[in-house]
Amino acid sequence: MKFRAKIVDGACLNHFTRISNMIAKLAKTCTLRISPDKLNFILCDKLANGGVSMWCELEQENFFSEFQMEGFSAENNEIYLELTSENLSRALKTAQNARALKIKLTNKHFPCLTVSVELFSMSNSSRIATHDIPIKVIPRKLWKDLQEPVVPDPDVSIYLPVLKTMKSVVEKMKNISSHLVIEANLDGELNLKIETELVCVTTHFKDLGNPPLASESTSQDRNPEHMAEVHIDIRKLLQFLAGQQVNPTKALCNIVTNKMVHFDLLHEDVSLQYFIPALS
Amino acid sequence: MNENEHDTTLNLKCKLGMKSILPIFRCLNSLERNIEKCKIFTRSDKCKVVIQFFYRHGIKRTHNICFQESQPLQVIFDKNVCTNTLMIQPRLLADAIVFFTSSQEEVTLAVTPLNFCLKSSNEESMDLSNAVYSEMFVGSDDFDFFQIGMDTEITFCFKELKGILTFSEATHAPISIYFDFPGKPLALSIDDMLVEANFILATLADEPSRASSPQSLCLSQKQKRSDLIKKKAGKNATGQTLECISRKAAPRRIYPKETLTNISALENCGHPGMKRANGDISEVSESSVSNTEEVPGSLCLRKFSCMFFGAVSSDQQEHFNHPFDSLARASDSEEDMNNGSFSLS
Repeated sequence: MKFRAKIVDGACLNHFTRISNMIAKLAKTCTLRISPDKLNFILCDKLANGGVSMWCELEQENFFSEFQMEGFSAENNEIYLELTSENLSRALKTAQNARALKIKLTNKHFPCLTVSVELFSMSNSSRIATHDIPIKVIPRKLWKDLQEPVVPDPDVSIYLPVLKTMKSVVEKMKNISSHLVIEANLDGELNLKIETELVCVTTHFKDLGNPPLASESTSQDRNPEHMAEVHIDIRKLLQFLAGQQVNPTKALCNIVTNKMVHFDLLHEDVSLQYFIPALS
Repeated sequence: MNENEHDTTLNLKCKLGMKSILPIFRCLNSLERNIEKCKIFTRSDKCKVVIQFFYRHGIKRTHNICFQESQPLQVIFDKNVCTNTLMIQPRLLADAIVFFTSSQEEVTLAVTPLNFCLKSSNEESMDLSNAVYSEMFVGSDDFDFFQIGMDTEITFCFKELKGILTFSEATHAPISIYFDFPGKPLALSIDDMLVEANFILATLADEPSRASSPQSLCLSQKQKRSDLIKKKAGKNATGQTLECISRKAAPRRIYPKETLTNISALENCGHPGMKRANGDISEVSESSVSNTEEVPGSLCLRKFSCMFFGAVSSDQQEHFNHPFDSLARASDSEEDMNNGSFSLS
C-alpha cells in the first residue's frame, strides 16, 4: 500500500487544517479512508462512540497538487487507516504558513503517516518539520463496517439556524438537563426543548426554510405544522456544534421521529454528515 | 523606611514566594499608566520585603512580603569553553518549539556544522505507541551566530526550554546556547541592557562513563544541599524533575573568603526514568555531600536545573550606601559578568 500527497496552495492548506481541527473535535479516534478520488474521515456507530457516527468526504483534487495512492489490491483500491485525530490536526497546525505540505504513508518503526512541512523562514534556508503520526492499518475484513451510512427517509428536513447561536443555547441548556428534544416541522420552525421536574425551557427558531423533500408523497400527507421530534443526549449535540468553528456553507438537519437526527453540512467543498441516535 | 547607618555594605540573600510577588505586578498596563514610582526595600527587623507603589494624588499602596533566608547553590560552568555555541532570536526558536506536542518531557537537540535539528526524544516516543515523533530543522542562516565544534546530540527537559523561551521573549536580545557532549550541562544565556540571565540545564548522559569526565565536578555545599537531596530522594525517579532555583552569588568584596569555596556545581544526571538504584539515591548523595569529590556519573539519577539571575542597575552608588534598601534594584553582577563565567573562585 502506498500513499503520497502534496499541498502547495496556502488556501487549500488552511482549509485542510480547518477540516482536520473539526474532525479532532468530533472524534478522538477516527478512520481515514484513502481512495483515488477522495479522502474520508469516518467514525462508525460503535457502542464506544455512543452510537454516534460521522462521515466526512472531500475530493482530493480540490486540495492536493499531487496525489498518488496504491490501495490494498487492484479490485479494492482503497486504504483504511485508524489514527488519533488530534495528532493530525496538531501536526497540520504547524503548517499554517508553510510553503508546502507533504503527507505520506511510511513504515519506520511502525506504520506512520508522515506529515512533512516546508516552512518559509527569514533567510533563504527553508525550514522543514516532520511529524510521524502512528497509525493502524485496518484489515480488509473490517471495511464493511466503515461504509457510507444510508440516510433513511426523514420525516422532516429543515435548514439549521446559525450554528453559533444554536451552540450557545445548547451550552446553557446542558447545565439543566442531559436530555434534549429537537423538533422541527415543514413550516421552517425548529425547537430545542429541555424538561426537568422544575423547569421546561424551549428555544424557538422560525423562518428557517425547508429543503425540497425527496419523496413528494410524504410531504403532501403531512401537516406542515406537525413537529417531528427526537430525544437525544445533549452532550452529543454539543460536541457536534462545538466542532463547527466556521459557519458552514450549507447546513441542514433531517429528523426521523424517535430514531435519530442527521446533520448534513457543507463546508465549502467538504461534506460532513453526523448522525446522533435517539435515546432509548 | 529602613535607615541603615552602617558604612559596611551588606547583602541580603533571601527567597520570596512567586505566588506572593506575581499578583502585585500582574496588571502591567495599569501599573505603567497609574504609578509614578515604585520603591522596594527590606525591613530586616521583620523579615519582610516592602514594595510600595506611589500613585498620583498622593495615593500609596504598600505590600509586605515575608522572605526566607536562603543559601543558594552555585554552579561552576564556564560557557566560554563549550565546543558548541549558538545565538538566535528567541522568537525563531519558540516557533520551532511549537511543533512539539506538549506532553513530551524531553527534547533532543542534534547539531552538525551545517544544521540544527530539534526532535522528539527517542526514549519517550518508543514507549508510547500513540506519540507523534517530530523533527524540526532550522537552517544555520537563521542563527545570529552558529559555531559547532563537533556533531552533537543532547537531550534535556523540554518544559524548562519552553519556560526559558517565554521569559526571553520579553527581552529583545538574542538567546545564546552553549553546550558540549551529552551529560555536560547546557547553558542558555540572555544579555539585554537591563537584564542578564543564565540558565543551566542538565542533559541526559549517553553512557555512564561519559558523565564522569573531569568537567562534571561536583562540589557540594553543606546543609542546604543535603537537605534538598534528602527531601527529593524519596520521590519516584520516573519523570520527576528536581527543581532548584538559586540566586546569583554576591560579589567577592562582600562575602568572606571561606564561603566562596563551599560552592556546589551542577551534577550531571542520568535518565529520570531509570528505576534501578532508586534506593541508592540518598546514600550516594550523602557521600557526595561529605566529601567534595567527583561523583561517578552512573549513580546520578535525578535531574535538576539551576537558574541564575542578575539584575543590572545604573544606581551603583546608591546601592553601596544603603545595601538593605532595595532588593530588586541591586546590581551585584557587574564584575562577575566580565569574564563570562559563574565561578567565584
